[in-house]
Amino acid sequence: MADAALHAHEDHPRPGFFTRWFLSTNHKDIGILYLIVSALMGFISIAFTMYMRLELMEPGVQYMLMEDGITPNGHLWNVLITGHGILMMFFVVIPAMFGGFGNYFMPLMIGAPDMAFPRMNNLSFWMYVAGCTLATLSLVSPGGDGQLGSGVGWVLYAPLSTSEPGYSMDLAIFAIHVSGASSILGAINMITTFLNMRAPGMTLHKTPLFAWSIFITAFLILLSLPVLAGAITMLLTDRNFGTGFFDPAAGGDPVLYQHLLWFFGHPEVYMIIVPGFGIVSHVISTFSKKPIFGYLGMVYAMIAIGALGFVVWAHHMYTVGLSATQQQYFMLATMVIAVPTGIKIFSWIATMWGGSISFKTPMLFAMGFLFLFTVGGVTGVILAQAGVDRAYHDTYYVVAHFHYVMSLGAVFCIFSGMYYWIGKMSGRQYPETLGKIHFWMMFIGANITFFPQHFLGRQGMPRRYIDYPEAFSLWNEISSYGAFLSGASFLLFFYIMYVTVTKGAKLTEPAYWGPHADTLEWTLSNPPPEHTFEQLPTREMWDKPAH
Amino acid sequence: MSDDKTTAGDNSPAVSRSDTPSYEVRLWPHRSLPRKGFRIVMTIAGIALALPVLPLMGTRVMWALLPFLVGAWGLLYLLIKRNYRDGRLEEHLRLWPDMICVERREPTGAMLRWQANPYWVDLTMHPNARPENYLTLRGAGRLIELGAFLVPEEREALFTQLNDALARVRATPEAAPWRPDV
Repeated sequence: MADAALHAHEDHPRPGFFTRWFLSTNHKDIGILYLIVSALMGFISIAFTMYMRLELMEPGVQYMLMEDGITPNGHLWNVLITGHGILMMFFVVIPAMFGGFGNYFMPLMIGAPDMAFPRMNNLSFWMYVAGCTLATLSLVSPGGDGQLGSGVGWVLYAPLSTSEPGYSMDLAIFAIHVSGASSILGAINMITTFLNMRAPGMTLHKTPLFAWSIFITAFLILLSLPVLAGAITMLLTDRNFGTGFFDPAAGGDPVLYQHLLWFFGHPEVYMIIVPGFGIVSHVISTFSKKPIFGYLGMVYAMIAIGALGFVVWAHHMYTVGLSATQQQYFMLATMVIAVPTGIKIFSWIATMWGGSISFKTPMLFAMGFLFLFTVGGVTGVILAQAGVDRAYHDTYYVVAHFHYVMSLGAVFCIFSGMYYWIGKMSGRQYPETLGKIHFWMMFIGANITFFPQHFLGRQGMPRRYIDYPEAFSLWNEISSYGAFLSGASFLLFFYIMYVTVTKGAKLTEPAYWGPHADTLEWTLSNPPPEHTFEQLPTREMWDKPAH
Repeated sequence: MSDDKTTAGDNSPAVSRSDTPSYEVRLWPHRSLPRKGFRIVMTIAGIALALPVLPLMGTRVMWALLPFLVGAWGLLYLLIKRNYRDGRLEEHLRLWPDMICVERREPTGAMLRWQANPYWVDLTMHPNARPENYLTLRGAGRLIELGAFLVPEEREALFTQLNDALARVRATPEAAPWRPDV
């Protein structure tokens, strides 16, 4: 029989620094670790873009030169765009939102004491770190053109990726393998936690939107990453064992690689943005002092976006020689996504409608997201037209489009979440004025960077080149100024985080954003104790009547 | 929730009695995914993971994808099952006028048993303990916990019910206060 162990819970020994941060099985600590490592990877990746925008500021090649100081080093350029893409797609945005906020807040919101598999959670995190290390090593290992790193683009299209010499490419493939395995384990952990460990009475139709968004993201990861794993394994065997899966001379098909890659790649876009939908829903509701408008519509719109994400992949491939019928299908299917997305956008606007809005930094970032994501969404509908895409394919119009949805949309969600929850995570509040300055620098900077790229795309400037003709110089120069402004805002963000955790005002009120922040994490102290909800929360704690 | 300090020697023998107990309750931890939900999730995951290989049937590319797709599905299946097993904790309490017994099945399948004379059993609720409303039974020289995995309100209700049941059996002629509580 289990003998009674009264007061046994008070005397948990405090773990030492090494045990707490290196052997952690605590979902909150692992969440913080994810945020820190992804910020570091983000810093590297953004440093690349600063160098690239510096180079693109004027026509001609000024900085990225070979050792003779005259010959342009195109390989370096290719390595930087590849590195920027791989790091951002696999090691920055998803780990920050899914690994960071997802780990920290999803179990809290559903009232679970921890993740379903805490030790596997630790394994996921360290596999992610191993992936980061491999990806970074790949940048400085022997690659193509007798130089370091591989410059084949983040999509690793065959035959570029199968013919790139050196082992840099293999390291990049391993990096994606390891981080993919980490994501699949993490996703199964999230799915099990969400499905089986919700507090008593918290039915699926009562679960907070952020928890839902993490669950949907986890499902997208589970269903699409195995396909990517298979595809890059074939790349690896093609490179090293001559299997010829993607080599026409050996009966293979390079376009098949593109199908497999984008079958993963399009859901990947939603893995990046769906957790952001969750964060923004809570932020808008909190700062409009109203419950979210159309909760069920929001949930089913996210499910619909996730499901539709699996049947539209070939809109990335209109120019590979798809039949007209296939192009028609992918065009129509893609445009259908605008319907659930519209439901979400209008529900957020309806939440704000008539609300008493306070323009705190998280809310500014959430509203910035709304505007920018809508701009990116609209250009997405334009690009979905197979005919129009003939002209826009591989131009800066596409670069502008996906940076509006991801660099601006998703990254604004990360900042919104960071300012919204930093007080909860650290126990200290960020300086509001600096936060607002950060927002305006980032908002103006990012728009100056990417809006002119629509014009460049329409003028016909192709993406992925180190140089361009004189005719494109005006908007490139302006775009570079914008990039430097947003780069500076990123440094300011690091400074704000430093000030917050060292000198920020201490927060004693659990629900410091007011009564409309009513999910379960707001019933806990700032920061929450090491062990939370060892005793399951009761319904009154989370199921509050509308205010 | 608790530190199990029980050794094998503490375990009482299994109780098999044919007469119906005057009070009986089964307690288990909360799990939010019913079996039907589990089947739905596994079916959706199975169909969605099968879709990408359907057009590749019979090609060698199928064999390159299949291990990853089957692996992902299998891992999801095993881990949710494992999570169910972690929560497969059950406490079964039966009360007769001359005997109270609690049998607890651990997630590992091990059975822990305790029995005592209900006349001398001491049921206590500790409102300020962690977890709140911690419930203990003292008897036969041991102090055992009851329903530590429930929410506090459930323990409070259990406390009232079990107290009433104990009072009822103590008042019956079959109660045996003279029998030592062993």
